[in-house]
Amino acid sequence: MERLSPRIRPVWLTAAIVQAAVSGGLLVGGAVGLTRATDLADAVGLAESTVVQGAIALAVVLAVVRLALAWLRYSVWRFELREDALYIERGVLTRVKTVVPFVRVQHVDSQRGPVERAVGLATVVVYTAGSRSADVAIPGLRPDRAEDLREELRRLAIESEGEDAV
Amino acid sequence: MSGERGGDDGSEPARGSVDKSAEEGPSDSGSGGPAVGESGGSGPGAAESGGGGDPSTKLHPYSVPYRSLSRSFSTGSLFFFVGVFTSPGGGGDLLTLGAMVVVGIVLGIAYEIAYYQRFRYELTSDTFDVASGVVSRRDREVPLRRVQNVDVQQNVLQRALGLAAVNVETAGGGETEVVLHYVGEAEAERLQRLLRTGAREDAGQDGVESTEPGREPDEEELLFAIQPNELAILSVFTIDPGASLLATIALSFASGFDPTALVPLAPFEGGLPGSGLIALAWAALLFVLVAWIVSAVLTFSRYYGFRLMRAGEELRYERGLLQRYSGTIPLDKVQTLTVEESIPFRWIGYGSLAVETAGYAPGQSGSGGAESAVPIAERERVRALARSIEPFGDPGLESSPKRARERYVVRYGAVVAAVVAAGYAVDAATGALGDWYVLAVLALAVPVAAHLKWANRGFAVGERYFFARTGFWKRTTKVVPHYRIQSVVDTRNVFQRRRRLASVTADTASSAAFFGRAATAYDIDARRATELREDLNDRLQERLRERKRHRLAGGEPPADAGADGERGEGRAGDATGA
Repeated sequence: MERLSPRIRPVWLTAAIVQAAVSGGLLVGGAVGLTRATDLADAVGLAESTVVQGAIALAVVLAVVRLALAWLRYSVWRFELREDALYIERGVLTRVKTVVPFVRVQHVDSQRGPVERAVGLATVVVYTAGSRSADVAIPGLRPDRAEDLREELRRLAIESEGEDAV
Repeated sequence: MSGERGGDDGSEPARGSVDKSAEEGPSDSGSGGPAVGESGGSGPGAAESGGGGDPSTKLHPYSVPYRSLSRSFSTGSLFFFVGVFTSPGGGGDLLTLGAMVVVGIVLGIAYEIAYYQRFRYELTSDTFDVASGVVSRRDREVPLRRVQNVDVQQNVLQRALGLAAVNVETAGGGETEVVLHYVGEAEAERLQRLLRTGAREDAGQDGVESTEPGREPDEEELLFAIQPNELAILSVFTIDPGASLLATIALSFASGFDPTALVPLAPFEGGLPGSGLIALAWAALLFVLVAWIVSAVLTFSRYYGFRLMRAGEELRYERGLLQRYSGTIPLDKVQTLTVEESIPFRWIGYGSLAVETAGYAPGQSGSGGAESAVPIAERERVRALARSIEPFGDPGLESSPKRARERYVVRYGAVVAAVVAAGYAVDAATGALGDWYVLAVLALAVPVAAHLKWANRGFAVGERYFFARTGFWKRTTKVVPHYRIQSVVDTRNVFQRRRRLASVTADTASSAAFFGRAATAYDIDARRATELREDLNDRLQERLRERKRHRLAGGEPPADAGADGERGEGRAGDATGA
């Protein structure tokens, strides 16, 4: 089973920090705003500061969970080119294992977003005609590996010769 | 060989058609209209006869006045507002406004005439070509073997005028591939037949000519016609999603937009305790009653005269009281069969059957994604019809392990706990609910609910099909041919992992699964799930190899005919196997 490039870990961690900052800011800001503007705290029978502190605590907990998930995501992520299918394992809380038969591959993309370009990574996206998992992305690949993988998937898809895509 | 990846159209396997130019926007601007003369129609009535020297055909000439009617309304009102805003002083005098509206209507009609003049379609031996567009033009070629469903719709006015709308669906894309608004009734029927059978003619034969009088279309065999009692049951027990909205509108009108008009407020004014709740309950009851009636009427008119026919390798259905629908379901494009036995129907021994393809169904928002092949029939009848489409055997369904049921107990227990807690919170905050702890009675229902959920779930892997059943209220059994599987997804969340459970979904290209109803074996043993995952993939590969062998060895005619012949064979083999 192939793993992703470890360089994806800081990317995911950074993304988690940004997300945590945004959602934490909204949460705490919302709590401050609500307690200032309304007498919600009084209605529940709590002091204003307690509500705000609670919001901060919640934001911190959520941030820690987010970071932990981002950290663990890397260790869970695995993929493999099997004889007749692409096999992917991912997901920390909900573990998802996907089998995409090469026959069903419609097309393959390799993508490099701005962040990925900055850290020298690439993503390969495999599309099927399915309705649920119509596109499966493999992030955190070194650019040359992404190119290779894309080519290989393309070759395998052609070799498997599906009769009809749907 | 119908292998598309190796074929000439391999570059775009998912899309059903090729566009030669940019898409025409939803251009309402009507500015290109006046350029076209009104006398140019060389053969407007030629729709039925196939069009003289020019093989391409125009829409029905009546489509101009019909389309103009709705178009001129929108452009007229648009220019009305333009008039209001541009006229000095803001209000605008009547004359200017009237003139603007006339300009709008004229532009709308001119646009429709231009649209009619520009619109050409042609059925060749292997493609359906459509050239359209007033402002930006579009030539579209749809390979006939990519056609999924062909639907014909007629509302009351269109029926009076003898018009029909034809929608041609292909896989891929989020919209109907080709829309013909509008052609004549006979032409619609001809297209519906030819867009499917034309593809099956020998390559050399011209699909259009071959159906000139003399060659009878495939014999139609009536599979199912809805009986009055079935229609009555269906109408009474079906909840139409649009009904609540219509009921709201109906009630608003009935009450003269005064919500208190229909609610007896006398006791409320008396200030009796709880009278507010009674008034609320009365309003709710009234609403439910009206919604129910509306729903029954809608369902009745939707499925009135439902007939399902089989003609060769496709199903054809007709339905509708005011708005007539008819559609074809190509049997060689069937992705999934869904047998649904919802609760009141199941108790009286009825069920329904839906056939899912990769195309988009007519009135899809209303009917919820899948095409009802049979909206209601006795259970055995439904099974027999389903088997005539895909000859599956009688699978003994494997149920989930008992610990899955424990999981549901915990889940429903948590829900009840949350309800009780909410009751307590409401009581603590407002004091409105006296005996909040009475809600705890709900806990008695938890084991029953958990058991029912567990008992209704099951899955099976047959020789050629994957079966998955779920749901107590709406028990749904999905039948997926192995070779239709697109991917297999195995998911295990935290709670499932604790109990060594997993859910395995066999994804297909069925468009109905977009709405979250794929074939899934829920909460099965984790080890079994791993097995199932590999098994499904292996069976898919095996079936594909088998089909390929048939195709290569059988010496069947090339292209799709090969796939069809092979399919027929597979069917016979399956029938004996089952």
